[in-house]
Amino acid sequence: MPCERKPMRYGHSEGHTEVCFDDSGKFIVTCGNDGDVRIWEGLDDDDPKFITVGEKAYSLALKNNKLVTASSNNTVQIHTFPDGDPDGILTRFTTNATHVTFNSSGSRVAAGSSDFMVKVVEVSDSSQQKTLRGHEAPVLSVTFDPKDDFLASASCDGNVVVWNIKEQSQLISWPLLQKTNDVSNAKSLCRLAWQPGTAKFLAVPVESKVQLYERESWDHVSTLSDDLLTQLVNVVAWSPCGQFLAAGSVGGSLNVWDVSSKLCVERQKHEKGFTVCGLAWHPSGSQIAYTDTEGCLGLLDGLRTSTSNSTNTASKQAAVTKPAKDYDALFDDDDDDRVMDEGQSDTNSPVKKPIAGDDDDDDDDFLMPATGRVRSRAILDDENSLDTGSLKLGQEKFGDDGDTGSGVVPAAPLVPLRPAYEGPMPTPPQKAFQPGSTPAHLTHRFMMWNSVGIVRDYNDEQDNAIDVEFHDTAVHHAMHLTNTLGHTMADLSQEAVLLACPGTDELASKLQCLHFSSWDTNKEWMVDLPQGEDVRALCLGQGWAAVATSALMIRVFSIGGVQREIFSLPGNVVCMVAHGEQLLIVYHRAPGFDGEQALGVQLLQFGPRKSQLIHGEPLPLSHRSYLSWLGFTAEGTPCYVDSEGVVRMLNRSVGNTWTPVCNTRETCKSKSDSYWVVGIHENPQQLRCIPCKGSRYPPTLPRPAVAILPFKLPLCQTSTEKGQMEEQYCRSLLFSNHFSFLSSSGYEIDEEAQSQSQKDQQELLMKMFALSCKLEREFRCVELAELMTQKVVTLAIRYASRSRRMALAQRLSEIALEKSNQIQEAEPEEEEEDYSSVRRPSGSGQSEAAQGRHSSRRYQEEEQEEEQREEEEGREMETDEASETKKRVNPFAKEAVSPVKTNLTPITKGGRANPFKVLGSGKPSSASGQPRVTNILDNMTTSRKSFPLSGPAGKQNKNTVLKPLAPRPKTKTQSTLLQMSGTKASNKKTQQNTQLAADRQKQPEAPTPASPADNTENKRPKTGFQFWLEENRKSITADNPDLEETDVIKEAMGRFRTLSAEDRLSWTERAKTGDPADLKKRKRAEGGAEGAETEKGQAEADENSAKKKKSLDPSSKLSAFAFNKN
Amino acid sequence: MDASEVEFLAEKETVKIIPNFSLDKIYLIGGDLGPFNPGLPVDVPVWLALNLKQRQKCRIVPPAWMDVDKLEEMRDLERKEDTFTPVPSPYYMELTKLLLNLVMCLCSASDNIPKADEIRTLVKDIWDTRIAKLRLSADSFISQLEAHAKLDNLTLMEINTIRVFLLDSLNCLYKLRSNQHPGSSKGQFADF
Repeated sequence: MPCERKPMRYGHSEGHTEVCFDDSGKFIVTCGNDGDVRIWEGLDDDDPKFITVGEKAYSLALKNNKLVTASSNNTVQIHTFPDGDPDGILTRFTTNATHVTFNSSGSRVAAGSSDFMVKVVEVSDSSQQKTLRGHEAPVLSVTFDPKDDFLASASCDGNVVVWNIKEQSQLISWPLLQKTNDVSNAKSLCRLAWQPGTAKFLAVPVESKVQLYERESWDHVSTLSDDLLTQLVNVVAWSPCGQFLAAGSVGGSLNVWDVSSKLCVERQKHEKGFTVCGLAWHPSGSQIAYTDTEGCLGLLDGLRTSTSNSTNTASKQAAVTKPAKDYDALFDDDDDDRVMDEGQSDTNSPVKKPIAGDDDDDDDDFLMPATGRVRSRAILDDENSLDTGSLKLGQEKFGDDGDTGSGVVPAAPLVPLRPAYEGPMPTPPQKAFQPGSTPAHLTHRFMMWNSVGIVRDYNDEQDNAIDVEFHDTAVHHAMHLTNTLGHTMADLSQEAVLLACPGTDELASKLQCLHFSSWDTNKEWMVDLPQGEDVRALCLGQGWAAVATSALMIRVFSIGGVQREIFSLPGNVVCMVAHGEQLLIVYHRAPGFDGEQALGVQLLQFGPRKSQLIHGEPLPLSHRSYLSWLGFTAEGTPCYVDSEGVVRMLNRSVGNTWTPVCNTRETCKSKSDSYWVVGIHENPQQLRCIPCKGSRYPPTLPRPAVAILPFKLPLCQTSTEKGQMEEQYCRSLLFSNHFSFLSSSGYEIDEEAQSQSQKDQQELLMKMFALSCKLEREFRCVELAELMTQKVVTLAIRYASRSRRMALAQRLSEIALEKSNQIQEAEPEEEEEDYSSVRRPSGSGQSEAAQGRHSSRRYQEEEQEEEQREEEEGREMETDEASETKKRVNPFAKEAVSPVKTNLTPITKGGRANPFKVLGSGKPSSASGQPRVTNILDNMTTSRKSFPLSGPAGKQNKNTVLKPLAPRPKTKTQSTLLQMSGTKASNKKTQQNTQLAADRQKQPEAPTPASPADNTENKRPKTGFQFWLEENRKSITADNPDLEETDVIKEAMGRFRTLSAEDRLSWTERAKTGDPADLKKRKRAEGGAEGAETEKGQAEADENSAKKKKSLDPSSKLSAFAFNKN
Repeated sequence: MDASEVEFLAEKETVKIIPNFSLDKIYLIGGDLGPFNPGLPVDVPVWLALNLKQRQKCRIVPPAWMDVDKLEEMRDLERKEDTFTPVPSPYYMELTKLLLNLVMCLCSASDNIPKADEIRTLVKDIWDTRIAKLRLSADSFISQLEAHAKLDNLTLMEINTIRVFLLDSLNCLYKLRSNQHPGSSKGQFADF
């Protein structure tokens, strides 16, 4: 039978410890960092005797009732045993000794020290010392040859040396270990051990194996290894009979090999996986005592080490008995896996494989039973039974695996002891957890920390209680509950607290809901789950609660306790969260391999429109990580965090993909720190989390404080300005996705925030545009311009033309035109809706406000002309605004096509399709589109029939519709140039003019629905360039007789620009006064005719209207930006 | 200027609180505060923190330096050095008093500042050390008949405690000296 692993007990304070048995085996003796040597009468001895030997005790050895210790005062002392009287100092070093050991007879003591020396001292006469010099680094361990001829020592310089004691000389030295500079830095303590009795072998722990060297020949004769032992072996110890060798590793594994057959006959694992640093056999060979670096003492009892046969049978028996037990523990609810697994072990077991040892003495083939698998199961089971925290340990083991492969030791090749399944190992599936909770094994833990409040669980001997506390005390006062049922899971919402406990043999699993927001007197309900069904995860939505059970079912209750839904889940649930009407479930899709988890995710929508939004798609996780948090942002976007600290958020605009938005690990100061996420907000962008120093989970006391981390998309080259801006833009887009989602599902949205984020996006686009311009990336500029709103494109055009990029400006103006066409097409829709006062869900307040202003304007209709001009100005801007709103809304309309919007989409689509058509095939298509646009616009203007001015304008447009459209882009450019030319006065004036110019530019697409072609007529005389051109054309043609018409204009533009500001202004004014023919056509021109001051007046009007309308700010800001850039 | 006025000035220092209510930004003459989100730390002036705490509307997060280990370190440094060492906060004494007194009188130390007593003792130790140094330097200043002296890292409260005494005594000395013949001031001082 396998040995029994007794539970660990506290022995010493944290740090290095050692253990040994006394000669009779009656006492276990340990020493530790606290400087005490404790004498235990057995593992259950609660009041051990202790001897204080110094401030710290590094090592001890016990023989013939003499206790030798290496203590921190650089001495090796003797105490009597068991009385503990000091019996003198054996030897001194210049620094502390690291390891002491007796020889077999107990007559000598060998001690290795950090001062590179090894001393061999006669116990009876401490003056007889032999010093062995030759190590070049602190000595790790020493061991006597049982025949007293030799001594072996290992050192931090990487050598294991065998000394001849008499001659004080090195016999042989093997460079086996990794070099370090100090014992404390050494990965392994490398405790050597010489086979007692025959003294044939010297056992040296090397990496994750134990190498055996033969006495006299000093050849490496064999290697003891175990596939499951992947971490460094720290200590080895021979059984008193010399047939077995025990090894303890850094990762807490304990292995016992039968040396003759080289079979691993016993594998155990430290219950917490701490490093085993002390190992001792009971003189009878039936027990092994071990200690770890945390100061705990453990015991393996019932080792059957009499004959190897018995152990073989024992292990075979284990093979038979273990699986069922382990499977039961592991897959208590999952039958498929068992079948699959048995299949695997079946295919493995018949395979025979000889042991490929390099010595011949044990060539008996060994039919491998399923022990390996079983054992591995056992270990997996061990890990699995702990929580995710310890799962990590297992994964680190995987990591180390890779390291050891590239280790320094060239010695023996890996000896496959048994035929094993060599493919990727399945990862232990992650256990179900509640996001925002700390592991259940803690006595004081958070059961839930979310945006509503905190649920804490105190579970010690005296009482078991649950504290519920609300961040906002306005929700509810804090609650204190006694946890008689043993609840382990909780969720908290603004309405209720939901608690659940797993079932026991007698009691069924219970779900308890404290519905504190209920208006009746019954604030609580409880539900028993069917026998054998356990609650695995739970969550609270708005007005409902969901529970995932071990029977792979999701049960949905109303908040009052009505059972509403039940459906099955394809796999074991991992966790589940809810927000409003949404339910997000993550479950095991399949077994993962090589440390990966294979998780699936479902997103369901309850409420009036029940639907499944994500249909069990795989959940992307970082490599070899597991899910550590799952939740919704405060705005309702699903997101999650994996154990690598990567936060991912659902990107609804790209077909429900997951975008990494933050890596909390990057902000950690040290590797062991982590952030425990408690909430995510999209507006403002906040990742709320608790910094945990040196742990994964925060303690309940002192109460941790929430910190806020910024988000950062992992884009390329974020150190450059371009990368930064792109990151900001992408992030801004991603984090404004929720607006459209919320509005499409009928929630109110923060319109101010929305327009703010859109403003920011446009601003960023403009900055990126400017940057690309500077870098001479015109194509990129155009790409960026495609993303801009029409208004910002005009700014971009101005920027381009100002930086003398004509080709770019021309392309941009095409884009601007297309955008304006889109807007025009979409506009009637907007208007209709305004008038029918049916508010589209995604409609913004601006249109409403515009309508308000519109009606208020009607009262002023009869007022004087000046006023009217102002009004017109206002109206233009307003429509701009409306169009801009339209424009902004469209991109969102695309992602979330809600039923409400469907009537809108066809038109929008038409508008969107256009840009490509026009850019590609040229004018005809847009020409065909044009009449329709005007018609729509006519309708619109007639709907505003109260406006007398727009009537004639509309008629006029009808006349001009059929004019040739070919020169449109060019005239557009000209107009921009001309506008620019007009703006060069004081700074303030510039600003105003910019607006003016922008307004003018908008005329073609805005309310006076003049087609661009018509506009060219309107505009030219107004701006003065025409005048100047007429006068100067001759000189230009004279200078460049071979120029085309367009080139002439370009040249003219260049010259006109070189004129001084005053000159140009005078030209402009001349233009205004000089061409009365156009005055009838345009109201604005008429206004201009009144004199030069009118422009000022207009500017003032502009200013007035700007005051009224906040939404003008972005453009003015941007225009300021554009000017600054130049 | 008396101690209460210095304390008043100290109340302008900011401290982190965790509110348990929700409130938008508030716009005050001294600047905007908030927004207050339940459970989310926010920086507010001490006077507001105290007020909210008294109304059980928040938890105060003690400043980083209000920690036993850090203060012990500071105390040891202060004792070792002959000059004044930089203090963690220009109002360390006042803040300690304000925050800890509040904790005391509300008897809710458990969720606020751990080891309040120890902190109080440590701050008092630092204070005593510094005041002793201050007296010592004042003494040597007068006894050596210096015209001016420069002391770094003094806090307002410390200056305030010594000011009245030092100025009065200097005035007094001046008067006495101006009546006497120059040169015998040494003896005069001893008499004084």
